[in-house]
Amino acid sequence: MTRSALIIAGAIAFAVSSTSVAQEVKQEARPATTKPSITPSNVTQEMLSRAAGDSSNFLHTNGDYTQRRYYPNAQINTANVRRLHPAWMFQTDVRESLETSPIVVNGVMYVTTSFSQVYALNAQTGEQLWYYKHPLGPITTYCCGPNNRGVAVFEDKIYLATLDAKLVALDAKTGNKVWQSDIADPELGYSETMAPTVVKGKVLIGTNGGEYGIRGFVKAYDAKDGKLLWTFNTIPESSVGVWAEKDATGRDMHRNIQAEKDELAKIGDPYKTLGGGVWQNPAVDLATNRIFFVVGNPSPDLDGSLRPGDNLYTDSLVSLDLDTGQYVCHFQYIAHDVWDLDAVSPPVLVDVRDKSGRLISGILHAGKTGHVYVHDRKDCSLIRFSDAMVPQENMWTLPTPEGARMLPGANGGVEWSPVAVNPQLGLTYAINLHQPMTYTVTSAPYPNGKLWLGGAFKVIPGEEQAGNVTAVDYNTGKIRWQVKTPQPMIGGILATAGGLVFTGEANGRFRAYDARNGNVLWTFNAGAGVNAPPSSYAVGGKQYIVVGAGGNVQIDSKRGNAIIAFTLD
Amino acid sequence: MRRRSIAITLAAVLGTILPTGGGQAQALEEKAQLCAACHGKSGIPLQKAFPVIWGQYQGYLYLQLRDYKSGARKNDIMSPLAQTLERDDMMALALYFSQKRWPDLQQPGAPADVAKRALQANTSVGCTGCHQSEYQGEGTQPRLAGQSQEYLQQTMMDFRNRTRGNNPGMTDLMLATSVEDLEALAQYMAGLQYRAGQ
Repeated sequence: MTRSALIIAGAIAFAVSSTSVAQEVKQEARPATTKPSITPSNVTQEMLSRAAGDSSNFLHTNGDYTQRRYYPNAQINTANVRRLHPAWMFQTDVRESLETSPIVVNGVMYVTTSFSQVYALNAQTGEQLWYYKHPLGPITTYCCGPNNRGVAVFEDKIYLATLDAKLVALDAKTGNKVWQSDIADPELGYSETMAPTVVKGKVLIGTNGGEYGIRGFVKAYDAKDGKLLWTFNTIPESSVGVWAEKDATGRDMHRNIQAEKDELAKIGDPYKTLGGGVWQNPAVDLATNRIFFVVGNPSPDLDGSLRPGDNLYTDSLVSLDLDTGQYVCHFQYIAHDVWDLDAVSPPVLVDVRDKSGRLISGILHAGKTGHVYVHDRKDCSLIRFSDAMVPQENMWTLPTPEGARMLPGANGGVEWSPVAVNPQLGLTYAINLHQPMTYTVTSAPYPNGKLWLGGAFKVIPGEEQAGNVTAVDYNTGKIRWQVKTPQPMIGGILATAGGLVFTGEANGRFRAYDARNGNVLWTFNAGAGVNAPPSSYAVGGKQYIVVGAGGNVQIDSKRGNAIIAFTLD
Repeated sequence: MRRRSIAITLAAVLGTILPTGGGQAQALEEKAQLCAACHGKSGIPLQKAFPVIWGQYQGYLYLQLRDYKSGARKNDIMSPLAQTLERDDMMALALYFSQKRWPDLQQPGAPADVAKRALQANTSVGCTGCHQSEYQGEGTQPRLAGQSQEYLQQTMMDFRNRTRGNNPGMTDLMLATSVEDLEALAQYMAGLQYRAGQ
């Protein structure tokens, strides 16, 4: 039994930073049995639609349909956060990369682990209510670890997408399986690590597989029975595009357009194995009934010779009609990407100033390039891009057989990590990686369900790696503040109405920053990499902050298995 | 030549056993006896150049059989054997061996300087991104911890010089890694202990 729910006003050995925390660790643990048992309750569409103003629950992977990760409860704030301390810690059975966004419904918390396992916990005590261990099939083909980033909730069910490419509905009260649908064939390179999004009776899900020669998609399933409602292929049958020579920032990408055209004449449109995974949740604009998501890299990652054209809609922001899955608009950041500097971090809906200063419905996306891109929601067009949040060198040097150095490295910039927004301050907060790499290209046909990179990205030994937390003014594109971290950052970030920003680091630090200026107001060391997005909720009139500390495969941070909830008292 | 004649004989025997359908458990046992000719009756291979398959993951073993049959992976013994197998046969055989206990080859842990070099190489190309923490593998990613050092070394070199062609991604990563680092990795991974999967 490696799992335990601890009520710890004390008992955690890693607490640091404030005297109040130091005092707390000396107190005795209270038994979990003193807490009342609780029963999950139904989640209505109205609750999901109004999540942005819900200061008790955390109903969406990224807070609400706009994906701002801005929590409206201000009980924990800049004045008292120094007194934040662990309320409880829950240890899962899985000591492996932990990327879950805890979901909280009326005092019940749902978390997932690597290998597609789910726990329901009492959010007040950490007591386990039920546990679902998904029976993975023999074939799993995935990149970057056996991760899972969480569940979606609707009515009396919770929804999980699994490493072997299934969509599973569980009874929220018991964890018993209600239905299961095949999303795609894992032997062809498909897998699932993202949390689904549920809206208006539909379960929306993308796919991993951009490193496997798949044809990416977003699918919608009926939340009641798992029946497929529509499929949008992220790679259209005509993927060639406009032969763009410059990226979204106007820099030349050094494409050999004539060579590509010659190849296209020989092999035809490469859409069937062109990749285009969708790693993270779509934002939902309820007013216009449209969804917005970003599409990942073309396959193979580094070898463009096998895939002539712009490789639409890879490396793009895409918008669809929610009811039909029909295309509305897109914007491509990098055409014919050969660096895997694609689009992964979930887009955010927020009002922004356009170029004339007028307030309009906008979209933000933080790219692996290190820029925050600001779009017009109407037609996906680009309004501006931010200052680079990480060093950029030698862009866009083409990969070579010997290996060419270029910054950012292939993990970004901003990886899959969701950003947060404080709309009052007009700031978005992103966590970044700085990993100098060489990009090497080789050419080989698709190896049938095996990793297909078309070369290698290699971290350069001896060169410093680091990370940062960056606040960007999305109305100007200027960096407002930046705090450097000793390791590259992957995980996620949460802003709150208390004027705070929470995020974790590979070295186990979990910190609260002042949203206005980046001052560090509180630090806790979790003993394993904090590489998961934090959530917040309230039970019994008390606000909590919760985060997973289990390390991360991609940056190989120290593994663990803890879900830690913090509160004041 | 001797290898080829063994392969033909085994393939003929496998072919007579596998399609029969009835008495599947017995048929599997009989097939496994054939495999034991190289991979060992107790899971310890007869030669150090042969891999441990007992306790290896079903998904990985299945993909290798599939690739031997398609020609994506080539081996004088395994390729003709795989020609006699259908997908269900491959899955059944793979499951059978995956449920066996991983054997202890009694390989010593790597000395500190070798381990340090191996860990540094992993930092550079990210082996454990697929092969998992401590190289324990999962699903279609093979367990490398405790595998035969000689087999590991040879396999990484085969990927590097494209002798083994069923995973060009591995070829790219091996080419991005020096031969000295690969030697360190082989010694380090061989000396790691088995740990149960998730």
